[in-house]
Amino acid sequence: MVRLLLVIVGGSLVAASGCGASRVDAARADTAAAAGLRDSLLTASGGESVADAGPAGTGWATLKGVFTLDGTPPAAKQLVVDKDTEVCSKDGMKLVDRSLLVDGSSKGLANVVVFVRKSSRVKTPVSAEPLVFDQKNCEFLSPVFAARVGQPVDVRNSDPIGHNTNIAGTSFNQLIPAGQGTVYTPNKETGMPVTVTCNIHPWMKAYAVFRDDGYVAVTAADGSFAISDLPAGEPLEFQVWHERAAGPNGALAIDVPGLNWSEKGRFKLTLDADEVKDLGTLMVPAGALGI
Amino acid sequence: MRSGTSQLRFDAFRRSLAAVVGCLALLAATGCGRTPAASFRPNMVEATKQRLTPDQEQQVATILLAMFGTPDEPVCLPEAGLDEAKLRLAAGPVRSDIAGRKNGLYREHCAHCHGVTGDGLGPTAAFLNPYPRDYRPGVFKFKSTERADKPTDQDLVRILHNGIVGTSMPSFALLSDLEIEALTEYVKYLSIRGETEIELVRAFFELDDEDEGKLPETREFLIDEMLATVAEKWRSAAEAEIAVPEMPADIDLAASIAKGKELFYGDKANCVKCHGVTGLGDGQANDYDDWNKAIVQWSQEVAGDQDPAWASRATQVLAGDALRPRTIPPRNLRQGLYRGGRRPLDIYYRIHAGINGAPMPAAAGTVAPEDIWHIVNYVRSLPYDFDGELGIDRPMIAKGD
Repeated sequence: MVRLLLVIVGGSLVAASGCGASRVDAARADTAAAAGLRDSLLTASGGESVADAGPAGTGWATLKGVFTLDGTPPAAKQLVVDKDTEVCSKDGMKLVDRSLLVDGSSKGLANVVVFVRKSSRVKTPVSAEPLVFDQKNCEFLSPVFAARVGQPVDVRNSDPIGHNTNIAGTSFNQLIPAGQGTVYTPNKETGMPVTVTCNIHPWMKAYAVFRDDGYVAVTAADGSFAISDLPAGEPLEFQVWHERAAGPNGALAIDVPGLNWSEKGRFKLTLDADEVKDLGTLMVPAGALGI
Repeated sequence: MRSGTSQLRFDAFRRSLAAVVGCLALLAATGCGRTPAASFRPNMVEATKQRLTPDQEQQVATILLAMFGTPDEPVCLPEAGLDEAKLRLAAGPVRSDIAGRKNGLYREHCAHCHGVTGDGLGPTAAFLNPYPRDYRPGVFKFKSTERADKPTDQDLVRILHNGIVGTSMPSFALLSDLEIEALTEYVKYLSIRGETEIELVRAFFELDDEDEGKLPETREFLIDEMLATVAEKWRSAAEAEIAVPEMPADIDLAASIAKGKELFYGDKANCVKCHGVTGLGDGQANDYDDWNKAIVQWSQEVAGDQDPAWASRATQVLAGDALRPRTIPPRNLRQGLYRGGRRPLDIYYRIHAGINGAPMPAAAGTVAPEDIWHIVNYVRSLPYDFDGELGIDRPMIAKGD
């Protein structure tokens, strides 16, 4: 009896010592380096980097191009619409997944986002004119939406039923009553586009991208885009994104001769004043979109 | 006879002893050895998601050690805006100091659920529903501030005092004021640390080619862009308190409840869509909160990934550093249990700002303050409203459900 008890106690000791669930090994901090870094961070002037002198360019330029899909897009999936069907499936309307919209004849790829990562100059001040971001028939009317930080966005609801609009990473999640709207003014950059959803109707999805300088474009239905008033004479790095892109965080990487397009979906260009740089047709292989 | 029995007993004892020694040997062999000093667990989900290299993971760990120290020895840079003396009371193993004052309060009271790192992954976490809060994203639900803002110190104190009804979070009203303050300061410390870590991990994607995959270790980047930006949100919380107009003293309660009911079922406030025609929380019920949604979305990404080596590691990370995602049911409003507090004011805050991190949207902006008060009054009447014919007189039902 005593023996059994002891064995049980011993056994449970082994079990309890357990080492826990198996977790992947995590990197360990470099203690010496941390102590040095801490000292330099505590020194008020330590590690101060020299302020950028700012590239001395003048004038403005334009970048344009057309994204096309090299391949056959798969048929769009139908969305599961199971709420408010009297509005959302009115007259037998079927909502479909819009993550890959390709123009039937030209193969133009819509909703590719192109933006400048950093710029030193901006030509026009932020407009106080609200941009409209609307929803109708239980669908956001702009699948991908770009705005400049500080520019008011009029989030509208043209449906006869209520929605809510939830922009990831911004803490904006607001009720939008039937036929009404509310103004949201983005106050910081998003980096890569973030999702916009409606929690009441979970199939509703769009993307938003907010940029400080407003140098951002979303390709139209024919795959074309243009960004104008870009600062000339300074190296600009462009970031390219698509919802379905296989790169990190939705980065779209394609191979364009002379552009040195990186895996992070970026390429660099320096434009001349008054130049209209046309990248021409930018063929996106199906693999770059994970098709 | 007697000596024979003792001999037998002695043999039995010897055998037992051998068994115990065997067990101990096994223990030593399987051995975790001596208990290592407590350490912060890196945010493996975020690091794997952003495909950090081992060197990059180490850089993040080193920067965090420089900025925040260890669970046993927390340190703070002035820009974190935290009180180190309070942190020391809460940090470290449970012990008494020379004045006989209890130290190590976080590990005594909080770590078993919220984890040493504040990642909501303590040993008991998986058994709780809802899961304990993961402080690292810096998102808190129950507060008096606008949706996007951090909670005030007082909001955190209130949660510790009252606990959260309907969850496993107990009340810590028996702790002294100083102890509560030490714990709230420590929660802020873990949250600022966790949010800074997430920002650092994500910053790798934003690096330029010239940075060669290494974060700049300058004050400008580490302090101004990272730590101070996160800490400032905590500092400014006190100024972000929601201005609540007083409920009119001469309000006709019955009329207000009727008005609130109309709003609850109407297209303007639309509460019915999630809380259900019955108010039982049986409307839109298959949604996730932000913490769980992040895991759901990432699991899908991992499943669809084309790099088998990365996907296998990511699957391991999901198994060891994340909990199985759970949906978030909208609150059953007929139970009279309000997690963020049952004062009318608390319910006003929830409706005005929504619940950050949860699907509950903000009504402010499209619903007028007096209408929010009407909804508050209706919601507070719901636990007493049962008439045996739930929903019969309600417009959504009347449409022929």
